Amino acid sequence: MFIQTIITGLSIGSVYALMAVGYSLVFSVLNFSNFAHGAIITLGAYIAWALMVHYLQVPFFPALLLSMGGAGILAFLNERIAYSTLRRRRAPSLYLMISAMGVAISLQNLLYATIGAKLYALPPVFAMDVVHIGELTISKMDIFAFVFSALTIAVLHQILIRTKVGVAIRAAAHDMEMVSVLGVNLDVLVGVLFFIAGSLGGMAGVFMGVKYMVYPSMGWITNKAYIGAVIGGLGSLPGAIVGGLLLGLLEALVSVSSLGGTSLSTYRDVFSFGILVILLIFKPTGFFGRHVEDKL
Amino acid sequence: MKRIGTMLVVALLVWAVLGACKPAEKKAAAAKEETIKIGHTVALTGPSATWGQSEANALKMAIEKINAGGGVLGKKLEVIAYDNRADRVEAVNVAKRLIEQDKVVAIIGPAQSGVTNAIREVNNSAKVPVIATTATNPKVTVKDDGSVVPFTFRVCFIDPFQGTVAAQFALKDLKAKTAAVLYDVGDDYSQFLAKYFVEAFTKGGGKITANEAFRSGELDFRAQLGKIKTGKPDVLFLPTMQKEAALAAKQARDLGITATFLGGDGWASPDLIDLAGPAMEGAYFVNIAALEDPAIQDFIKEYKERFKEDPVLPNPLMAYDAALWLADALKRAGSTDGEKLKAALENTKDLPVLTGKLTIDPATHNPLNKPATIQQVKVKDKKFIYVKTFVTTD
Repeated sequence: MFIQTIITGLSIGSVYALMAVGYSLVFSVLNFSNFAHGAIITLGAYIAWALMVHYLQVPFFPALLLSMGGAGILAFLNERIAYSTLRRRRAPSLYLMISAMGVAISLQNLLYATIGAKLYALPPVFAMDVVHIGELTISKMDIFAFVFSALTIAVLHQILIRTKVGVAIRAAAHDMEMVSVLGVNLDVLVGVLFFIAGSLGGMAGVFMGVKYMVYPSMGWITNKAYIGAVIGGLGSLPGAIVGGLLLGLLEALVSVSSLGGTSLSTYRDVFSFGILVILLIFKPTGFFGRHVEDKL
Repeated sequence: MKRIGTMLVVALLVWAVLGACKPAEKKAAAAKEETIKIGHTVALTGPSATWGQSEANALKMAIEKINAGGGVLGKKLEVIAYDNRADRVEAVNVAKRLIEQDKVVAIIGPAQSGVTNAIREVNNSAKVPVIATTATNPKVTVKDDGSVVPFTFRVCFIDPFQGTVAAQFALKDLKAKTAAVLYDVGDDYSQFLAKYFVEAFTKGGGKITANEAFRSGELDFRAQLGKIKTGKPDVLFLPTMQKEAALAAKQARDLGITATFLGGDGWASPDLIDLAGPAMEGAYFVNIAALEDPAIQDFIKEYKERFKEDPVLPNPLMAYDAALWLADALKRAGSTDGEKLKAALENTKDLPVLTGKLTIDPATHNPLNKPATIQQVKVKDKKFIYVKTFVTTD
């Protein structure tokens, strides 16, 4: 029972972690919380739905890659249309965040108005959904999602460390001004950054679509991922992963606990959001965070 | 230069607003003379839109039929529908707009209990009757002190009834001895169904092994289901919308839970089967009506011909019944006056409507003796089959 709960927690947490990485990547360089990330994740899931169910019967793996690419392009366009002017004008990051909220709400509304409120399921990837180990059951999709996410994040890490773009991104995270003076084209850099964040979001969206379902307000779950990112320290990649996993574990454990006969499952959000409030009091930068001051 | 531009824009806007107002006013004035206006507050977007859109279609059909038969009090009925997104704040705005701006004589909808409660002050202080379509929470029409809410009515049965039906059906027909419940703590509908299921199941001699909850918007219930599994219940009652029911059913089967799933009318959407797949095979749920119900075949045929799809039950039937009920009450009241209309709505007896005969209890504003339909999910045939009409016992 306890181990089963841990497995469930890790499975929920890995989705949070994957989404949290997208928030942290953007925050690390541009110092604002890109709340449109949830909408990009949703659109990624809808791309997969269009490819796998609605228009074609594309197999899972190509559909996953195409959805990642599609979501990446959408995130890139999102930046070009909504943020780039603000960024060049050096608007306070608060304005960027508000713009992001606007994008998130309008995209969700657009989905309701065009595709509609209907819920869709993506076809299961594996014929037999679960693996039984004694009393324990583990979903194959969970294992796949976990491994694939880990691999992708490892690749991302290598890109950040070894490639020129990666070095530029990391340098920009420290001082965007200086990087620009040194001859890095900031527009290209930010474009690449959003493409990467968007692709990761698209991946999270597809995984969510297969594990749960596809619907216009599915981006809501990114609120939790965002908390994960804050717990780990906004702007930190390892922080986002640790924060997301921790939050998933905490939620699963709270759900099965009871206090004096009352089940705590109804208090799940009291714990996950409460821990955020407490953490911000004692450790405002999260576990791995670097800076809290407004850079702009 | 910039200022001139701004002024131009402002001038254009003023001109547009003033210009647009005139013909609209004229049109409204002309319409007022000919029709009796009925408001429809309905979720046309948002998670409840599947039912809301179907409800709006059916209401359109009902009103057209009433108008074709000569209308009411020598006038035609006119429906003014606004989207409330099943959102409480939005619904209050919609109700105010319908009452203050459009001057409707009565409002059909909302479909959700919480939303109907949210507009209670608005319609009751204005003395405009509201006929909720599928708001099954008892508190929609009866206050905490037991007195009736004067201008709020409903055309559907109430939650206690659905929870009780499910519990008695589990005990009598499924011979269940133990049951577990997983409900949505952020939703009045889900909470009430769960509460009355637990009461009726315990009263009937059954044992509740686990009573777990989650918060609206959650997608993963495996933690709670893991706990439910340890009690090995005969049935698992999932009084939620089809989305959560589908997710919970899939996750429960993945964890190896073998209990028979039971639900309420929130399940009654065709996509339940697409979303849950084989996990939902053989599950039962309580509903207001079934597509196979012989009494409503003509309506379904007409609806399909017109909208090229099946109606998403039960909302369309309830809206249709509400329209017939309202038209009858208007005739008997002989007036569109709020108080007179309220009295006529209250004193409805054996009125033939689509789902049978409608009798209203003046003390609760609830329909009396509404039989419930039990349906079963058949995944292979992709449909819900009609099992029986269940009548509860005390």
